Amino acid sequence: MNYPVWDVTFGAGLLIAVVAITHVFVSHFAIGGGLFLVLTEKKAYREEDSSLLDWLKRHTKFFVLVTVVFGAISGVGIWFTIGLISPSGTSSLIHSYVWGWAIEWVFFFLEITAALLYLYGWKKLDRKTHLWIGWIYFITAYLSMVVINGIITYMLTPGKWLETHNFWQGFFNPTYFPSLLLRTTFAFALAGIYALVTGTFQKDPELKGKVVKWSARWIIPAFIVIPIFAWWYIGSVPDAVWESARGKMPTATRYANYILIFSILTFLFSLITLIKPKKVPFVFSLLIFLMAFGTMGSFEFIREAIRKPYIIYDYMYANSIYKNQFPGDAGMSIQNIQQQGLLTVSKWAEHKEITNENQIEAGIEIFRLQCQSCHTIDGYRSMRDVLVENKWSQTGISRRISSLENMFNGVMPPFAGTTDEKEALAAYLATLAPVAPGEAEVSEEEISGETVFENNCSDCHDYAADDTMFTSMGKYDVSRISYLITRLDSLNEEMPPFEGTDAERETLAQWISEQFK
Amino acid sequence: MGMETTIPAIDPMPLPAPFWLFKLLLVLTFILHIVVMNFMFGGGLIAAFTALFRKKNENNHRLFKDITPKIPSLLAATVTLGIAPLLFVQVLYGQFFYTSSILIAWPWFLVLVLLTLAYYGFYIVSFKEDKTSRGIGWVMLISVFLVFLVGFFYSSNFTLMNAPGSWSAKYFQDPSGWNLNWSEATLIPRFLHFLVGSIAVGSFLIIATGLFRWKKEQEYARFLITRGGKWFMYATMVQFVVGIWFLISLPREMMLQFMGGNMFATISLLIGIAGGLAAIFIMSNGIRNEDPRKPVMLAMGITGIVVIFMAIIRDILRTAYLSPYFKAGELATKTQLDVLILFLVLFVIGILVWALMIKRYFFTPSAKTAE
Repeated sequence: MNYPVWDVTFGAGLLIAVVAITHVFVSHFAIGGGLFLVLTEKKAYREEDSSLLDWLKRHTKFFVLVTVVFGAISGVGIWFTIGLISPSGTSSLIHSYVWGWAIEWVFFFLEITAALLYLYGWKKLDRKTHLWIGWIYFITAYLSMVVINGIITYMLTPGKWLETHNFWQGFFNPTYFPSLLLRTTFAFALAGIYALVTGTFQKDPELKGKVVKWSARWIIPAFIVIPIFAWWYIGSVPDAVWESARGKMPTATRYANYILIFSILTFLFSLITLIKPKKVPFVFSLLIFLMAFGTMGSFEFIREAIRKPYIIYDYMYANSIYKNQFPGDAGMSIQNIQQQGLLTVSKWAEHKEITNENQIEAGIEIFRLQCQSCHTIDGYRSMRDVLVENKWSQTGISRRISSLENMFNGVMPPFAGTTDEKEALAAYLATLAPVAPGEAEVSEEEISGETVFENNCSDCHDYAADDTMFTSMGKYDVSRISYLITRLDSLNEEMPPFEGTDAERETLAQWISEQFK
Repeated sequence: MGMETTIPAIDPMPLPAPFWLFKLLLVLTFILHIVVMNFMFGGGLIAAFTALFRKKNENNHRLFKDITPKIPSLLAATVTLGIAPLLFVQVLYGQFFYTSSILIAWPWFLVLVLLTLAYYGFYIVSFKEDKTSRGIGWVMLISVFLVFLVGFFYSSNFTLMNAPGSWSAKYFQDPSGWNLNWSEATLIPRFLHFLVGSIAVGSFLIIATGLFRWKKEQEYARFLITRGGKWFMYATMVQFVVGIWFLISLPREMMLQFMGGNMFATISLLIGIAGGLAAIFIMSNGIRNEDPRKPVMLAMGITGIVVIFMAIIRDILRTAYLSPYFKAGELATKTQLDVLILFLVLFVIGILVWALMIKRYFFTPSAKTAE
């Protein structure tokens, strides 16, 4: 649209996910690990334990190699990647929050310097100065999260910012504090989990036992507190946002289950280490590490998934189209694109007009401009898979494009384009999984009520006795149901009007009346 | 397709501070970034070259051993100081920057992978106790080469950013982000200009190491200063050739800006040329002196001024390239004064804390005596 779309064959979303999740798993360690370093150093001095101190020196080296190198580069990496995949969203975050980023940069600079001085200081500094540097490290690392957390949570729950565009109202948004505490707690848990990894690598059983017990004291309390903050976080996210995490929205629901499993396993496995701390195998600590990675990854996936279809909630859709028209939007709002046409408004469209000859080519271009920030043909969130599975005809595809915003509890933005553009997209998508005659392309005369349901209703409604569709309509007679189907949009403002033929409507009404008797 | 239509519209959010402030910060932080980058890249290259292609003698071994442990921290500083100008360039020129990045998306993304590998390579060398083996020299050289590629991708992106006219042809030919900016006539001379400049300024890392050693071991210090000084002189001589190539590769109207068309640009370039020549002569005489410290420091100081003017020239050139498509006056501004003040206050506190950390680190009595 405003920007060209980078055609990532295997999936732009997957690329962001890989960079972002590996980064957060390290960056949270960089924060909690900072406190872990100074407190462990103090503990070693207090207990005059030279072997613990020696391990801590090695652990510091590991810490710096993981956080300063991978953590810092992957952090810049998220910024690079979102700039390539969501340039409009990135530009918006930069323009609204440049001073926030600049403040974060000040902390980041101090943090990196302190980390290096802390590492090299083991050989050079007296205890007091070394600890002082360690504290500066932890405080500045934490403060950098205090800043970034405001911008990340703003994307999900911008709150009053939507009306005022005020920096602080967006920054201290409804999920700011629960998210900060949730992340803080997880950061402390990760400090223990990473220490478990290097700790169980040690040969000396005394040292190993000590590090394992000490690490567990970071993980276990954190995992007891995490559910409380998670509950607060969930409560702070508006209900409308959570809607998409329930029911038929596959990603969020799936990851909500994963997070439960992974976090419980992380907790339980960490408890197990306390049974025989001196004998915890290295592999077992890696297992805990992976479970924690699963927990963190699932959390980020849910956060991203419930934000869908937006990149900045209620402001900009994931495909860079603005939700509402406003001065300076350069015509990139959904209303304007629906009126003017995507290919007309887009600065990066090669086909400006659709003809019979170029319909498929134009469809490819529309797909790239509008769908490809999330979907691919054969890779991540593959369209071919969806089409092969559902066997929709071109007409069926076209109908779904008309009501994209109703699919999967509203996880997708509405289609932005003219009728011709919608048809071009449908024509192109239909080529991905051609449906053989008789397979699903049921002719009008012999179409079954179930097929009409599948084609028109099943994106939002379940085939279940307690689904609102059957509880509200099933009790009436066929003619009443048929009449109700003509006024779907007035029954519930979220429902699109029925787009099938009269015959299909009659068939559907008949079918509904016969179900769950 | 007209090029105006492919330039993305400016972000609707107003600039949260005046244009000039972002411009000042952009140029200022770019200078800091480029100097540290030069130390890292140029210093690393000289060290690798010394280990692999010089005589195996004590001084050469020591040079490698003394320089290489500094490189990872310099890379950390390069990345950290690079974030600021990258932030400000996105504020001011996002519509150009994001677009060119997308056109060369894969090389641009690869920067992250290459940097990570180079970083670990530098740490391998840094932590290796025995630094005399040939293998370790190669690890150093390969890591430097990865940074070289990163630099090339940067030059590609930042030249492409200045050339919106070439965008649509590139994109519609290949939207998968595998473009580079080969068609740009200034790409190679511009990249070489940065590369050779890096070696010249990078030599200061060797010289500075020598200056710090002067009081303790004069002979070794003199070796470092002389070696560094020679790298500086030869690189700067080559720079005159590369610089002229770069200048004549520019589109005519840009080139004329530096030949009287724009007085400020012309004077800046003249200062650069005069400074470069002066630095060579002073360095050349200085390293033959009984006590080379003062002239060498003078040559370094002059070069520092040259670097500042070169950064300004770079900005003038960008402004000239983008002038048909970009008017600073068209940007809406709505200063976020409270956040800006907070940033400035924290920035000053940050500098103080940073300086205090450095002071305490380098000037606190050794732990051996305290414990």
